Amino acid sequence: MRHPTDGTLRRLLDEPDGVADADREHVAGCQACLSGLAAVREDAVAVGAAVRFEVAPDVDEGWPRLSRAAAADEPRRVAAARASRWRAWLRSPVAAVAGAAAILTGVGAAAAADWLQVFRTERVAPVTISQADFLQLPELSAYGEVAIKEKADRRAVPDADAAREATGLPVPLVADPPRGVTGEPTFQVGDKVSATFTFSTSKAARTAEAVGEKLPPPPPGLDGSRFRLTAGPGLVAIWSEARGVPALMVGRAVAPRAYSSGVPFETARDYLLAMPGLPETVASQLRGFSGQGTTLPLVVKAWKQTTRTADVNGVPGTVLTTRDGVMAGVLWVDGGFVTGVVGSLSADEVLAVARGLRWEP
Amino acid sequence: MESAERGDTAPAVRPDLEQVFRAAYPRVVAVAARVLGARDEAEDVAQEVFLAFGRSAVPAGEAAGWLSVAAAHTALNHLRSGRRRASREEAAGKDESVSPDIADTVVTREERRRVRAALARLPRRQAVALVLRHSGLSYAEVAAALDLSPGSVGTTVRRAESALRKELNRHASSD
Repeated sequence: MRHPTDGTLRRLLDEPDGVADADREHVAGCQACLSGLAAVREDAVAVGAAVRFEVAPDVDEGWPRLSRAAAADEPRRVAAARASRWRAWLRSPVAAVAGAAAILTGVGAAAAADWLQVFRTERVAPVTISQADFLQLPELSAYGEVAIKEKADRRAVPDADAAREATGLPVPLVADPPRGVTGEPTFQVGDKVSATFTFSTSKAARTAEAVGEKLPPPPPGLDGSRFRLTAGPGLVAIWSEARGVPALMVGRAVAPRAYSSGVPFETARDYLLAMPGLPETVASQLRGFSGQGTTLPLVVKAWKQTTRTADVNGVPGTVLTTRDGVMAGVLWVDGGFVTGVVGSLSADEVLAVARGLRWEP
Repeated sequence: MESAERGDTAPAVRPDLEQVFRAAYPRVVAVAARVLGARDEAEDVAQEVFLAFGRSAVPAGEAAGWLSVAAAHTALNHLRSGRRRASREEAAGKDESVSPDIADTVVTREERRRVRAALARLPRRQAVALVLRHSGLSYAEVAAALDLSPGSVGTTVRRAESALRKELNRHASSD
């Protein structure tokens, strides 16, 4: 019979009952496996000693500390949670999501000598992901080189006119703001972002190896093929509460696009979706809307957010609500722009804002 | 005023927090301590993790696994963000009085620094699997926590140990 894997040998050390009888018996009578087992044991013992750190924490001391922290945390908890969630939303601008997404959903296009547009965002759709899968979600850089060519340089500008001038985009007007949203908004802008992604077989192989898998043979021409991703410029109007935590944010950006320099895009997409490392639950959802190359996947963390679709003046929008009800947002794509309304509000309130928006060119 | 109103509607800290804390605190500290090699900092991480758990809707039955994974990730994040500095190292040195026989004589501070650096360089999933396994979680528990098959836990842990050992040996021989 074939020799059991190193992984099986490793488990034999800790949980022999978890190893199949046939494997156990094989190892007991196989010199090669016995010496392999000895090497595995030696590493396990050495590492065990290296990471060993004995602590005997005092639970009775720890509980009052946590209890106080939780109590002290409570009054400012909502604001802090909101602030951190805002930071998370701001940190993952459309462009970042679009990078991996565009590669994975771009439609097949014939090979072309020059950059060929293979993806343009016409709508958004949620990809729901579990916490376990989220932790495993590889970044685009796991499969090749990502080079940022143009940066967003996100910055505050003095007023609406400056925002218009910097981006060439109209600014939003909220005629009937929800309760708790008052005063004038401040504006931030970001420039067009562009990045190239160069697929690397050797990098992808290392990623596969890290999860204990072998890289499937890549299609001809994929190694070294390049994709260009763009998004923006964009602007955002922010209405803040007294503490400086945003209460409502309305943003618009030129929607992400992707271009290919070489291989048929479908080939690259099908290959990437079959790669080890990408959780199957995510891959199957992405496969589901790869047909037209126009759907921008929006990552929804199933343990934190819920999602549904809603109509925004005749255009389908994706509504996200945090499970604790602290924040809600809606995102839609229309006329080559992706627009979002996010607030420390209910889903109905953000939808009302979204449907009542006017844009001042 | 609006804030107060919205604050009222926010969910309170979960009622089973104390029960879960008392059952799981030692293990959560132990997981963080294996990564950080310092008791004070491990307790800080554990507090942070329980505070997050207190606000979460994680089912009670999954609490132990969730807390262990969160402790490993949070501790690894601390390593990576370089939040630990000289004063912490000093504090860690004092902690060694907890187990003077092992901590002081076998694992020197320099070795511990190397372990932390090597852990931080491992692929995240390997690092978490290694830390959880050496914290006493069963293969089934590590598998559930990381959404792996129990079979591939052995492979992942083995790869992590092999890589970590190489890193440690490389540094030891280059000294």
